[in-house]
Amino acid sequence: VMSKNKSSESVKVVVRCRPLSRKEESSGPAGGIVQMDLRLGQVILRNPRAPPSEPQKTFTFDAVYDANSKQRELYDESVRPLIDSVLAGFNGTIFAYGQTGTGKTYTMQGAWLDPEKRGVIPNAFDHVFTHISRSQSDKQYLVRASYLEIYLEEIRDLLDPNHTNARGLELRENPDTGVYVQDLTSCVCKSIKEIEEVMNVGNQARAVGATDMNEHSSRSHALFLITVECSQPGPDGRKHIRVGRLNLVDLAGSERQAKTGVQGERLKEAAKINLSLSALGNVISALADGRSGHVPYRDSKLTRLLQDSLGGNAKTVMVATLGPAPQHYDETLTTLRYANRAKNIQNQPRVNEDPKDALLREFQREIARLRAQLNYRKWRSKQKNEQMEGESWDGDREKETEGEEDEEVEKEAEEYVKLEEQRLEREKEAIRGDEYMVAEEKQRLLGEKERMMVDLRKEQEATEQLTAKYKAMESKLLVGGKNIIDHTNEQQKMLEMKRQEIAEQTRNEREIQQQMLAQDEETLELRETFTSLQQEVEAKTKKLKKLYTKLQCIKAEIKDVNDEHVKSRQELEQTQNELTRELKFKYLIIENFIPPEEKNKIMNRLIFDPEEDQWKFQPLVPAESVYFEMHGLNFY
Amino acid sequence: MASFNSNEWRAICDKFTNAQNLTETESRKDPENDPFRSKYKARDLLREIYCSLKSFEAGEGEEDSSGESGDQRPTEEPVDGQREDVFGQGFSGDSPAGLRAARLGAVEYYLGVNHVDTEELSAGQEHLMNCMKLLERCRVSSQNVSLFIHVRNQLGILWAGRDETETAQGFLETAESIYQRYMKEDGSPPTDMTEYFTTEENLLTHQERTKRFELAYTHTMYYLAQVYKNLGQTERAATYCHTTLQRQLQLNQFTPMEWALNAATLSQYYITKGRYMEGRHCLSAATVISDLAGEVPSEAAAQESEAESERREHLRQKRAEIARCWIKYCLNLLQDARKQLEDNIGELDTDRQDELKMARRREEEEEEKGRKSALLFGSEDTFDSIASIEEKVMCLFPLDFTEARSVFLVGQNYVTQAKDFFQMDGYVTDHIEILQDHSALFRALAFFEEDMERRCKMHKRRVDMLETICNDLNAQYYLLIRRQLMFELAETYNEMMDLKLTLANRQADTQSLDNHTIKKFNHLCSASAKYFQMFLDSLCSPEGKYPEHLEEEVLRPALVARFRVARLHSRFISSSPTVQLDNLNKSLENYKYVVQYCEAHPEAEAAVETELELSKEMVGLLPLKINRLKARMASNN
Repeated sequence: VMSKNKSSESVKVVVRCRPLSRKEESSGPAGGIVQMDLRLGQVILRNPRAPPSEPQKTFTFDAVYDANSKQRELYDESVRPLIDSVLAGFNGTIFAYGQTGTGKTYTMQGAWLDPEKRGVIPNAFDHVFTHISRSQSDKQYLVRASYLEIYLEEIRDLLDPNHTNARGLELRENPDTGVYVQDLTSCVCKSIKEIEEVMNVGNQARAVGATDMNEHSSRSHALFLITVECSQPGPDGRKHIRVGRLNLVDLAGSERQAKTGVQGERLKEAAKINLSLSALGNVISALADGRSGHVPYRDSKLTRLLQDSLGGNAKTVMVATLGPAPQHYDETLTTLRYANRAKNIQNQPRVNEDPKDALLREFQREIARLRAQLNYRKWRSKQKNEQMEGESWDGDREKETEGEEDEEVEKEAEEYVKLEEQRLEREKEAIRGDEYMVAEEKQRLLGEKERMMVDLRKEQEATEQLTAKYKAMESKLLVGGKNIIDHTNEQQKMLEMKRQEIAEQTRNEREIQQQMLAQDEETLELRETFTSLQQEVEAKTKKLKKLYTKLQCIKAEIKDVNDEHVKSRQELEQTQNELTRELKFKYLIIENFIPPEEKNKIMNRLIFDPEEDQWKFQPLVPAESVYFEMHGLNFY
Repeated sequence: MASFNSNEWRAICDKFTNAQNLTETESRKDPENDPFRSKYKARDLLREIYCSLKSFEAGEGEEDSSGESGDQRPTEEPVDGQREDVFGQGFSGDSPAGLRAARLGAVEYYLGVNHVDTEELSAGQEHLMNCMKLLERCRVSSQNVSLFIHVRNQLGILWAGRDETETAQGFLETAESIYQRYMKEDGSPPTDMTEYFTTEENLLTHQERTKRFELAYTHTMYYLAQVYKNLGQTERAATYCHTTLQRQLQLNQFTPMEWALNAATLSQYYITKGRYMEGRHCLSAATVISDLAGEVPSEAAAQESEAESERREHLRQKRAEIARCWIKYCLNLLQDARKQLEDNIGELDTDRQDELKMARRREEEEEEKGRKSALLFGSEDTFDSIASIEEKVMCLFPLDFTEARSVFLVGQNYVTQAKDFFQMDGYVTDHIEILQDHSALFRALAFFEEDMERRCKMHKRRVDMLETICNDLNAQYYLLIRRQLMFELAETYNEMMDLKLTLANRQADTQSLDNHTIKKFNHLCSASAKYFQMFLDSLCSPEGKYPEHLEEEVLRPALVARFRVARLHSRFISSSPTVQLDNLNKSLENYKYVVQYCEAHPEAEAAVETELELSKEMVGLLPLKINRLKARMASNN
């Protein structure tokens, strides 16, 4: 077995086939064209138009899910490991790819209310927050979510209430964070409920913005982005932050890929001539495509936004969805071929250790700053208190020691204010009472006291605001093991672990099976070190047979195409023959039964009415007057 | 027309106007689930027109039959490519028969286009071929030449869509030759096809006629460009793109920024082909024409209105893109000149320099001649401004430092312009690409510099501009860019180290190197090794494991980096035998890696032939050196 590069890993591709719909079942006698070998992870595609002798097309993937598969199975086996690595600080992307109506949205979203039918996204939410609630309490988490769609190369923020009239968002780049969408709304989510709410708001916005939902959703790409930041004290005592980004992508229907311009499929259109001069730039760009020149040409927005996920630095799972009906054969084949190619994309995942951007760190810093400010204020107010006490007041406020709690601070501040006010009032009184003071001076002093009162109130307000801000900040952070009350659910946890183990094993089993197959092939080749001529003959025959079947496959494919052409040609020929025969017959009748003069007359009167799709006689009345009459009728 | 009474004729004209309106305007509003509604309506109208014309022709047929029956033409389909003489035979386009044929042909043409638009290709083809057949009986004249061109354009598109590029090529090339011959022999503004169905008072002006006709031919050029591109004839394709651009400019049918950007992109084709004169011309024209797009709104204006801010962004970006094309021009010119002038160890070959300088005069004359024959852009008012921009930078290879410097300065000026828009914050990738070009400009210029000290300073500039950025970039999101930067930094330090050593050796021939120089040398040496090592580390897995198998795109860089690290370790200057020993061991280790990797992966050998050979030798030799050193250490102890 060839040694694999440890630092890079390919895109994982899984294939899922939906059941035949009732309509398809009744219309097609042949049943589905997709067969799946779950153990081997193979999809076998039967060409409904080919003779049974033709070899079927087989594709191998990381996993396949047939019509009976459950949402949960797909999640546990194929998605769970990816989400786990996101929680560990990797970037992860899940694509759903396939023809419209093959269940992309069912796979990604599913039916939210039925726990059995919940798709990848709700399960991922659940996973993330359960993980957080069960992690150790020295870990702090920050979860943010964004939701956007790309429609006709415009990025629209689905969480922005004004998104329908706002213009498209721009992609920008930052040395610390890479490519990002400028001004994209990002919601901090503290619970499953909140993140589900975010998703709902976005889904609604998506539906509202579109005139025809189905049409729209099949043409636009939807991206749900979740950022999970986790802070944990390292062995060095400092806090280390890991950031994982999860992109959940519902691609436009594959049949639209050519039109929406996603990679790869564009090649198909290459031979066609572009009619409009506005595409001259594309033509020239294609000529100037060289490494030593600069081509002012940008990739599509989707490609740029996900450049990490495709051949970049992330773990990626692609779920290709298929339809099993015979009439989908071509689309299904295209999807399978595309998915097969995606297997070869290599990723380079890497843990995002201590990226400078981490918002979590900012939060922590802000919190620390606020706490310091609060403490300072508290200390100052105490100082003032003491000062005052020394002057005039004999109070028993000594017992009030430095409590860390905010409430105390507040109470203290309140009292301080009260006291201060009283003191100022008293001083004012005193000043008023001082008969000997010059009026002006008195006024000035009074004003000063007044100002001091205002200052005091302001200071108090500021403290209150700080406290509020501090609380708001802190509430956004999730602390491991604290927020969710399912500590008691140990059993469930066990169950999940077991489930995970099972999933892992299924995965391993399949891998081993696939390896076995591969090894079988290799053993064949190993036998090439022959001990005797006979063995050589045997081996060669085997090899020949294998190659022969391969040849047959390709021949069959060629024949497919040929047959199709022949068939359509024959059909056309037949129609043509029939039409010619009929025409000849009609001519014969005309020649033999209609005198030439009559014929000419008739011919002159004939006119084709395209509305009814038939030839009609012109009326004998002069056409002009009729024409005007009709117009007259129309007008009045 | 004589036998249509005016009302009948007016009705036909109205139908035609209606059909045009449906095709061009209404069809854009058709709903998704009935996308061709208006086109079908238009088709019906066209069919009615066809019937009216036909029935009229049947009535007219008797009196005119002598002319037609005398012209027994073979009925086989006209296929372009075997070019027929469409100018010499058939009836004149002005004759009543000719006009009738043209009218009928035009309806067939519109029906053809209609069918093609509604994805009924073969029906469309049939109509278009009917049009061809009708025209076949006519001579080209100002009455019908426009139709001659249009129908061939459409057939060209149709066949190209079917992947039958050669057939498409035939139709389009015939259209091209018909246009050229018509312009030579007649040249009067031809009737537009829409005029066949307009009443006298609505005929077009001569200006409008010319405009439409020329636009049709511009499309012919544009389609031919695509056909040649699809046939892999890039040079011809480029010429036709060039012609298309030139015609857009001449006929004033362009939007300035779009045009400028296209011209700038085309220059990139020319410079990769080494055709700097054409490249410079395209770029100069791009600069001049982009100015026609108007002033960039000021920052203050942009802050006030969103539209202005968008316009500002747009204009600045496009201008910066053009600046980047200029940078590439200067860079490629310098680099190609260097290739001409360097000897086998990459230094300036003075014999070659003299030789090329001698040949220069001849070249200059040729440039003059070339300019005259080349396709030039520009109308009278832009011609001079384009020429004045061209004069600012040469298009012949610079042969000495002064010339190279002038090219460099122009490039550097564009670097500043481009960076002004493509700032680090917001356009990281673009910004760094520009910096890399800037660094490459310095590198190319350094080749021409004879003073080693100054050459070293140029490399220092490269280090300064790249080093901080390389360290500031997020290692995850900019992995690939960082790898490039690390490699370049490593090589630059290496170059500086070599220069310092040569300098020191030259100055102090006899005596050994002084302490300061050694320190400097070791610093550069370790910096270079550090960046090579950083590059190698970037290939490791998250667990810090070095890959067993190198991906194809990093195979050569990774092995070369190993090889260079090995070499650098053996060059460290130290008086301490233990340090020496340590360095030699590290060196050996890296040489061994290269050899062993190639043994395990024979497919890698081809990528690093020379390095592998040297590594093998070193793996043989170094142990001897190490042993000798060890022996000396032992005896000293």
